[in-house]
Amino acid sequence: MDDLEQVVQQEWGRLVALLVSQFRRLDLVEDALGDAVESASRTWPVDGPPEKPAAWLLTAARRRVLDRLRTEDVARRRLPVLLTDAERHQEGARTMADSGSLVEDDVLRLVLMCAHPALAPESASALSLRLVLGVPTADIARLFLVPEPTMAARITRAKKRIVGAGIPFAVPDASVLPERLDMVAQTAYLAFTAGYSPGTGPDLLRADLSGEAIRLVRVVLGLRPDEPALVALLALMLLQHARRDARVRDGRLVLLADQDRTRWHHDEIAEATRLLAAPSLAGPLTPLAASYAVQARIAAEHATAPTTEDTRWDRIVGWYDLLLQVMPSPSARLARAVAVAEDRGAAAGLAALEGLEIPDSHRPAAVRAELLSRAGDVDAARAAFDQAIAACRNDVEREFLVRRREKLDAPS
Amino acid sequence: MKYLVLLIGDGAVKKWSAHTEEEQVEVMGRFQAFDRACRERQGVELLAGEALSDPRDATVMRTPDGKVELTDGPYAEVIEGMGGFYLLEAPDLDVVVELLQVLPPYDIQIHPTVDVTL
Repeated sequence: MDDLEQVVQQEWGRLVALLVSQFRRLDLVEDALGDAVESASRTWPVDGPPEKPAAWLLTAARRRVLDRLRTEDVARRRLPVLLTDAERHQEGARTMADSGSLVEDDVLRLVLMCAHPALAPESASALSLRLVLGVPTADIARLFLVPEPTMAARITRAKKRIVGAGIPFAVPDASVLPERLDMVAQTAYLAFTAGYSPGTGPDLLRADLSGEAIRLVRVVLGLRPDEPALVALLALMLLQHARRDARVRDGRLVLLADQDRTRWHHDEIAEATRLLAAPSLAGPLTPLAASYAVQARIAAEHATAPTTEDTRWDRIVGWYDLLLQVMPSPSARLARAVAVAEDRGAAAGLAALEGLEIPDSHRPAAVRAELLSRAGDVDAARAAFDQAIAACRNDVEREFLVRRREKLDAPS
Repeated sequence: MKYLVLLIGDGAVKKWSAHTEEEQVEVMGRFQAFDRACRERQGVELLAGEALSDPRDATVMRTPDGKVELTDGPYAEVIEGMGGFYLLEAPDLDVVVELLQVLPPYDIQIHPTVDVTL
């Protein structure tokens, strides 16, 4: 990685935050910074990198914004600008839950603005990757499996909505800050899981881009180091992400049980295990933080089992029982049924599936089909596979189900 | 920033006619509390606020081809149950959302106004 790439990766969010806070023009800042980076890519290799690369970019970007402001017509200048918390408190504008340096507060303001609950979750997610990390729009489009112009329009709309609806560039009161940081965590997790939703062809998984979501959480954790939802989420993401290289073989998804465990990133598993022992997770947690922590503990059971056979399914069932208390959901019930089947056999798993339905999802039928096939009930298994295949919208997963059904018919 | 706040539907609140007298007093108390909360909040000013009569009393005025046409009833389904509105000056959306939680949990549309004077 060259000097420019490195400074862009490390400083993008801080530079955006500084420019946004100075000019309050969300529509100009990103382009101006992009232009500054482009200009650096031409001059730095010739003149050598400046002594303070981030300051150079900031100055160049400021100049671009000022140029644009000067040429703007009157009508444009009358449009609303981004609101900041200076409007809220005439004096003592920096009422923070914690004292931090001004610069870090600005990055936190940026993060909270991008993950505001009045934005649609996918827009918030895309905007966070773009403004806080500087991930190129083309990559964000690839992550969310949409064409690049669609993603560019979505990001532009989100920026317009922030200004138009009056979403502030501000840190809220301590009473609502934990809730808002929960939103930040959900926003990052949405980007993370997008990278693991199967696409097609060479983009089967976009795990490299899921890694950007991990970077987003690290940035926010740098500002709020003990925030339980973020600590637990980072552990959960690391444990899932550690398996990325083992999840695809010959262009096909590989199930957890069949993965080559030597290809897991054991350093990341170790970091996650340390995070799960953090004191901040020992205290009272929001339901979201608790659910991330329990899901991470489930992932840790898998990640630390030396072989598939050594998996402690009894403990995993126990964690799922806890998860269902903390944050009940049909998908957690489904996952618990799978664990029950591993622990106590297919019949017990089928009993745990009883009455479970997830609207628009093929997964309950797919799991039922697997368990029926294991229990030797071929006819019922075939019917369940048919049902799952009919409901499945993803090509890769449907192909997988079709193969499983064919195996059922093959004489054993 | 100026916001038009439309109390668009009963939401989690039961119909006004289904309230007991004590419950009606409680609801009115929350409107008064909202007035107070707005007065006490720095940078916030309640510019207007009225309760609306029965939606069937509303009139929609359209002027296709330069000729005024009046029809009865509200403009669209979304405002069929509109019970009231506020015009509120507030620093930002977060402040508006925080203050509106003082009111009963109606469905509410928060709509910024734009300055059209030149």
